[in-house]
Amino acid sequence: MKPTPLNVITIGRIPATVRERAQAFGFDDDCLQFAIASDLALDGRATETWVLVSSTHVVVIGTGENGETVGPFELRTATKVRAFHAVGSAFLQLQIDGLYVDVARYSNSLREPFGRAIGELKCLIEGAPARPEVLSRPSETLCTRCGLPLPSGGGGCPRCLRKQGIFARTLGLMRPYWLSIILLLLVMLGGVGLDLIPPMLQRMLVDRVLAPPADAALMAHAESIRLLIWILLGLVAASAGRMLLNIFIGRTSSIIGTRITKELRERLQRKLVSLNVEYYNRHSVGSLMSRVLYDVDYFQGFVTQVAQGFLLNLMLVLGIGAMLFWMNWRLALLALLPIPFVVAGTTFFWRHIYPRYYRVWDSQSKLSQLLSGLLSGIRLVKAFGQEAREERRFSQAAGYLQQSRRGLETSVATFNPIMGFVFGLGGLIIWYAGGRLVLGEMRLLGEPITLGTLMAFFAYMGMFYGPVSALSMFSNWATGFLSAGQRVFEVMDATASISDPPNPTRRAAVEGRIEFRQVVFGYDPYNPVLKGVSFVIEPGQFIGIVGKSGSGKTTLVNLLCRFYDPQEGKVLLDGVNLRDLRKEDLRRHIGLVLQEPFLFRATIAENIAYGRPDAEPAAILNAAKAANAHDFIARRPAGYDTKLGEQGAGLSGGERQRISIARALLCDPRVLILDEATSSVDTESEQEIQKALATVCRGRTTIAIAHRLSTLKNADRIFVLDEGRVAESGTHEELLALQGLYHRLVRIQTELTRIES
Amino acid sequence: MNEQPSPFSLENTLASVGVRRLTPENTTIFEGTFSLLHCAVRGDNLYRGVFAVLLFPVTYPNRFISLRYTGEKDKEHEIGIIEDLATFPEEAQHLIRRNLARHYKEYLITRIHRIRQEYGLLFFEVEADGHPASFVMPWRYDRAEEYGQSGKVLLDAFDNRYIIRDVNALSATERRMFTSFIYW
Repeated sequence: MKPTPLNVITIGRIPATVRERAQAFGFDDDCLQFAIASDLALDGRATETWVLVSSTHVVVIGTGENGETVGPFELRTATKVRAFHAVGSAFLQLQIDGLYVDVARYSNSLREPFGRAIGELKCLIEGAPARPEVLSRPSETLCTRCGLPLPSGGGGCPRCLRKQGIFARTLGLMRPYWLSIILLLLVMLGGVGLDLIPPMLQRMLVDRVLAPPADAALMAHAESIRLLIWILLGLVAASAGRMLLNIFIGRTSSIIGTRITKELRERLQRKLVSLNVEYYNRHSVGSLMSRVLYDVDYFQGFVTQVAQGFLLNLMLVLGIGAMLFWMNWRLALLALLPIPFVVAGTTFFWRHIYPRYYRVWDSQSKLSQLLSGLLSGIRLVKAFGQEAREERRFSQAAGYLQQSRRGLETSVATFNPIMGFVFGLGGLIIWYAGGRLVLGEMRLLGEPITLGTLMAFFAYMGMFYGPVSALSMFSNWATGFLSAGQRVFEVMDATASISDPPNPTRRAAVEGRIEFRQVVFGYDPYNPVLKGVSFVIEPGQFIGIVGKSGSGKTTLVNLLCRFYDPQEGKVLLDGVNLRDLRKEDLRRHIGLVLQEPFLFRATIAENIAYGRPDAEPAAILNAAKAANAHDFIARRPAGYDTKLGEQGAGLSGGERQRISIARALLCDPRVLILDEATSSVDTESEQEIQKALATVCRGRTTIAIAHRLSTLKNADRIFVLDEGRVAESGTHEELLALQGLYHRLVRIQTELTRIES
Repeated sequence: MNEQPSPFSLENTLASVGVRRLTPENTTIFEGTFSLLHCAVRGDNLYRGVFAVLLFPVTYPNRFISLRYTGEKDKEHEIGIIEDLATFPEEAQHLIRRNLARHYKEYLITRIHRIRQEYGLLFFEVEADGHPASFVMPWRYDRAEEYGQSGKVLLDAFDNRYIIRDVNALSATERRMFTSFIYW
């Protein structure tokens, strides 16, 4: 299927039947504002229907025989228009008499054009001028050249920006080592030359020393012995030369291979760090770890294969093939008889065995995720007494791995011997035909040959089938490499949709004035979490943000840190749009303290200095003191050199949180964000943290998200978020006086506190 | 002798604070203005422009139906849940089913003709809802989710939903073709 590009908002393409029916409702080309084709009827049948919009009316007309009609609706009577997203489709709805009425239904494929059309309808209902440029803007979801869906994280069309194959890209990685690789190839060529010598020497040995033909002139015994010694010395020299070249090839390919994998791992790590948060919502940590840790190893295998596997075998096949044809081309042709079977076998392998590698990788990744979840949540498992259940779940995952691995390995174990047998057949043919040629029969294959020539032929055959077999098995290795390569390059090609501007605005110092201007944002662009949020925070203000779960509090923080960009509107810092700042410059001015403090496996000092590794010890002490962390650190035997375990193991929740506050403070940010910083600690720890915060927030723009409203009493202003909008704002007292949402939240919390006490 | 549940049992406690159950005794469902679904609950309001949502669309497609409406400030509210639609009068059942059909648009795949992988996308040619259909989906984990015990729901590039109720019910060739790409 070739996906349809965005060309549905049009006036010119309305079918004649629809045009005729529309005229009956007073719709003609002159009064039409725009028209959009839908792909579903209201009851869900797949059929083309047209939504025609004039400056005063909307009507929907089907293209079917009956031309089912919805409306017309007078825009004057409509108070609102919206897209109502159901499951798998959506509705264009008009609000009439306080009720949302279904006007048209469309599949999710048309969400983008209908989203724009609804925006235009909104303008018409509100009496605002239409914006034709919105309708004619190129699609953001489909490639305008070929119609292919564009990747959701941004980036160009994968078809139009055709990428090199995995092998070609891997060869590209070797570019810095081209001199070593050319040397390697020359040495390999020399090695193949050396490999071709022994059979010719053996032929001489048989025909001139061990079993000379009856018609050949007899050599003196002493001369035969001398020739024997020379031939043996030649064999030794060829063998020793080969040994030296093998050592060189092995060492050089190992050096190049390990360097490439190291560089690739570093590039992957850099890429992973640069990717935006949205990418991590779509990929599990286990599968990404598996790519960096295990898939990259295949790239070292690639170098080894090129140096000692594929290329060497290819050269051997060509060299030996040339010798076979030179000795007796008719016999050589017979030796090639099994080749079609080899090709058929390889094709079978690609089609039927190759996909099993994916399954094995998937099962490994699932098992690893399960185990990681089990071990990190071991306390929960024990607390709920679910050990037996976890054992069953693990056994199931291990069974899946066993099954998928068995499926792959049994296929390979069947395939390989069959291919071996096919190769063996070639040898049997040569024994028969070559043997009769030595006996002077089968003249259609040419002149009789000597026993030495037959022996040399066999020696070459033995060397020939080995590399041919290895080459056919190359697909075996290549399939594994390709699937690993695909996974690695998928990460490398992922686009970080939050990119730095080409000409960023530089700000040496920041005051900390924050403005949200009509910000609309949704993690799914069609379901906004923030719906037109606007506010200004002056430098140095302490702002509280409250609201129910899912009201958009953390989303505000995500936008302010520019983990995401808004779909509409702007977020400004000191009057500069965040999109115009480099991410690094922006985040240097923002300190973030999360609900779950993340500490690394390092010393306490290293954790505090995470954002400023060059910080002087005195600065670390000051930050810890300000965060009320100094005393408990000082009480530890190793003080600031205390090595912390995984995620800060060995510290209480409150202690971990105070270290994370010290970490944020050490960077001296102008904007401090506290995202539920005290909600997962006990009351005593909370008091300690609050004391710390009272000191450290002074002079900084501070945004505190909190469920415990008592912690925000002294805020300069509190924003109450509700359903993605700022429902109320003001000081604690002002909001209480409003008797609105905030007042209700405070009342509920007071009740809760009373019940708890 | 059947043991009576204690008034302080978990079930009773949850029932008192949990969802409101709509039964034929306390609820009347009818069609009103603009053919919209209306719902009157005894001792409560008349709700207009109601829509139905399945709470367990895979495991209980005919039970646990939430009736909802759009209130002030376009906020969505739940009126209550119908635990078993079969207990309601025929007419009400028909109206609810028609409303549910409007809420869900899923294409049921009965045959797979061809799957091609290119540019990180899977190009499907299938038989869906009795008609030949084709769609493109990103070749990613999150685009093929589990559906019941052995089914899969495939989300195409635009989030349209294609259902395979039971992967094991596909023919051996189709299953091999399918699992060679959707292997998870």
